[in-house]
Amino acid sequence: MKRFLKKYYLEFAFILPLTLYILGFTILPISKTIWMSFQDPTTGRWGLSVYRELFRRPDFVRSIFHTVVVTLIELTIQMTLGLLIAMALKQDFKGKGLARSLVLLPMGVPTLVAGVALIYIFGTQGYLNELLFQLGFIKTPVYWTSGGIKSLFTIAFADSWKVMPMVVLLFLAGLESIPSEIYEAGSIDGATKLQSFRHITLPLLKPTVTMVILLRAVDVFRIFELPLILVGRATPFLATFAYDEYRAYNNLHASAAASTVLLICIILFMYLYFRYVDKGGAFGNGK
Amino acid sequence: MASKKIWKKILFYLGIALICFFMATPVYILFRISFSIPEEVLTQHPKFLITNFTFKHWDQVLKSGNLWPPLRKSLLVATFTMLSSLVIAVPACYAISRLNKRLKYIIVLSLFFTRMFPNVGIALPISVVFLKWNLLDTHLGLVLAHLIEQLPFICWILVSTFETIPFDLEEAAMIDGAGRLQTLASVILPVAAPGIAVSAMLTWLNSWNEFTYALYLSLSTRTLPLQIYYYVSRGGFFQQAAYSTILAVPVLILTLVLQRFIRGEYLKGAVKG
Amino acid sequence: MMRKWKKGLAVALCLLMIMGALAGCGSQRPASTTGTGGAGSSLLKVSMSLGEEEWAVMREDIFPAFEKQNNVKIEAVQIESGDMAAKLESMKKAGKMEIDLIAQDNMQLANLVDKGLVEDLSEYRDMIPKEIIPSLVPVGEFDGKLYFMPFRPNVEINFYNEKKFQQYGLKPPTTWDELLQVAKTFKEKEGVGRILLKGTLDGNTTVQLFEFIRQAGGDPLVLNDEGSIKAFTFLKELYPYLSPDSSKSDWNFINQYLANESGYYGANWPFAVNVIVKDAGKTEMKSHEGFSGPVKKSKVLGGDVLGIPVGAPNKEMAIKFIEYLLSKEVQETLVSKLGWPSSRSDANGKVEDWQKPYFDAVSKALESAEPRPNVTYWADVDKALNEAYKAITIDGKEVKETLDKYHSILEEAKKK
Repeated sequence: MKRFLKKYYLEFAFILPLTLYILGFTILPISKTIWMSFQDPTTGRWGLSVYRELFRRPDFVRSIFHTVVVTLIELTIQMTLGLLIAMALKQDFKGKGLARSLVLLPMGVPTLVAGVALIYIFGTQGYLNELLFQLGFIKTPVYWTSGGIKSLFTIAFADSWKVMPMVVLLFLAGLESIPSEIYEAGSIDGATKLQSFRHITLPLLKPTVTMVILLRAVDVFRIFELPLILVGRATPFLATFAYDEYRAYNNLHASAAASTVLLICIILFMYLYFRYVDKGGAFGNGK
Repeated sequence: MASKKIWKKILFYLGIALICFFMATPVYILFRISFSIPEEVLTQHPKFLITNFTFKHWDQVLKSGNLWPPLRKSLLVATFTMLSSLVIAVPACYAISRLNKRLKYIIVLSLFFTRMFPNVGIALPISVVFLKWNLLDTHLGLVLAHLIEQLPFICWILVSTFETIPFDLEEAAMIDGAGRLQTLASVILPVAAPGIAVSAMLTWLNSWNEFTYALYLSLSTRTLPLQIYYYVSRGGFFQQAAYSTILAVPVLILTLVLQRFIRGEYLKGAVKG
Repeated sequence: MMRKWKKGLAVALCLLMIMGALAGCGSQRPASTTGTGGAGSSLLKVSMSLGEEEWAVMREDIFPAFEKQNNVKIEAVQIESGDMAAKLESMKKAGKMEIDLIAQDNMQLANLVDKGLVEDLSEYRDMIPKEIIPSLVPVGEFDGKLYFMPFRPNVEINFYNEKKFQQYGLKPPTTWDELLQVAKTFKEKEGVGRILLKGTLDGNTTVQLFEFIRQAGGDPLVLNDEGSIKAFTFLKELYPYLSPDSSKSDWNFINQYLANESGYYGANWPFAVNVIVKDAGKTEMKSHEGFSGPVKKSKVLGGDVLGIPVGAPNKEMAIKFIEYLLSKEVQETLVSKLGWPSSRSDANGKVEDWQKPYFDAVSKALESAEPRPNVTYWADVDKALNEAYKAITIDGKEVKETLDKYHSILEEAKKK
């Protein structure tokens, strides 16, 4: 034991602060929140009473639905558009530097600011409606943020804009890691561009795709600022619902329960993903 | 055949142009509104191009005295979050990167799992505890809270950075008689510097932009994002645009200047395991 | 070996120093917003939630006279009413109350009393001047004890876009029927609803629901009496003709929608005049005192009240300051400089000309203003009203059935 310590004391000293911090400021609060969600606020008894109360509220059920749907929409948008942009940026063309800078632009825009900017665009008298009006597509303004499926698409679009740089960068890194010899071999064999995309790019990009999906899914499930600013309570999401319970009603237990449900959603998503989509893929086998 | 190629090229550039247009428009709109006169924006048909410049809103924001305290708090918190996360994470990540693969994988994955719980859920007990410790509304409290989110993030980048440094390099230095800490300082850190710099920058940015914890932990002293949020919820139509621009400008400059260092690999390596 | 340890220690020390430096920054007080006072004078810390112009008047016209009279320095901080409970609680738990006097939104009082954060001011009841409008006093009473003193009354007025109304030959509605008619006309002519109701499903909506229910002679705390049913039936009928931006209209966003002509009619607190008319230059936005329901006119009495946090270090001075704020001269200054309606019946300030019509609308609306009841289960009331509104208008549920359901929820909450 002593020898072990002597050999690894440096590693211990290095890792200890991080471990303590994560334990004290992340694991402990998380367990506290989960713990709290199982306690009845009035009687103090343990059980599922908070959850029962929550699932009776139509708004809460709706917020779960919204969160899940917006995640699916966003992942679809980001996967296709992100891969497309990344493949475009991999080509050599004039003005590539400028295009790359512009694509990276949203990275430098705080989420909150993105929300403010998008209010101006998606507002009823906003710029999107004006554009559509000028182009003659619409006569009366479209209400993008007043609830329903349209709001979900608005949120999904807004968030996709904000995170697109990250997605593109990850895809670019993935594309660059594919050796160009494989493509050359493919073209010698007479593969068309589409074929080489289908049979070379996609399979080799699979680990990247998995990673991007997981990274993004975790973030989208927890989406908070944009719905708070853009759609308000008319379209509740799990995170905004939890916030409202805390701030507006001082109902800590319900807020904690909503957070826990969100966690369960994420874990469930991961499970389903690995079970049915990425069967023991790159991420899962811990190579 | 040739014309087909040209068409393809035109289509390609059109696509690129469209993408650029989409990415840049929101930022343009924001600038535009912060400089416009009310008649151009507050109508049923707002104009796209700037025809009339006014610096009135900027003037108001700069003179109101509500800009400097939040700006100062944001700067301090972001800087100290960056510094303390480096102090905690650099040695830890170095150590983690030298562990055997299986253990490393578990650690990286569990760091990822800590990010699965919603911020609002962590902020809730944290705010209760900070209330007891009298840390609400303080810079220290906010730095501590920001570290919660930033540590896993910075570790992701740093572990993969240290990983790419071959162990041989270290061994060579050790054989020359250097101690481990000395090796770390004189051999490893210089090689890892670009990765550390990128992670530091991203941490600073994230903290500068952070909203959720600030919302839970601030009452009367605010960070810049919070200040914007309060303007958004107070209806200062033009002020919110001006504040937003102020918040975005340093970040935009930083991103654009440093963009060639921002690469996907840094985020990627950790997962490849 | 020793050297390595020393280095490790150095790193740890660095960390400590950084933390220390942070603690130093953290403990700095929020910057004072008032000028400097004389040396040796005592300190009075006041918290209010005001806009820029309102702060300017406080600093230039209200505070200095008091500071001079009592040789005291006033330090003012801005704390939003929604944050007040958390802020006071944290100070109380730390055993360090730093605020002597708060001006708090009268919609957010129950929480403060519940948590025992404010002093019982019953013994100072006589201090309230007899000229204070009597209906303002019960707002600060909980279980017969007086926790808050009146400061300023407030009430929502209804804004309308005169140009657009004239364009279609319409007049601002004075009854529910006219309101429905106006709403239908706009929707017909422009293809979109132009009437804004505050529909954010939070405290904003609660205020409007209170007004509709009371206008029909109902009691919002009962929720399934005849008046309430009438009110919700009407709202269900009106809903399709509302501007869809209603769902995002709180006391802030409604200004934006009125200013950019997304909506032509909507109610908001009088501060909106500064935003819509003065800042945005929309001089065609006029206001009136609102419409009456089938039974009566009714508005919700809002505004700020004054309270003293438990453990306030300078309680005596705070009491004096309350007395000063309620004096005739201060109330008159508030009327003439800010256009705030006065809580005294004898304060006749002269309002600026452009503000006059709006001020008159406020005064008229105040005549029918009723305070909200101070009940301990307020959060349940708020939730029940909003959920009922959502179920009936948005989801199209049956009125009576829905209200019965929420009535029983309220009854349950009452028993707790």
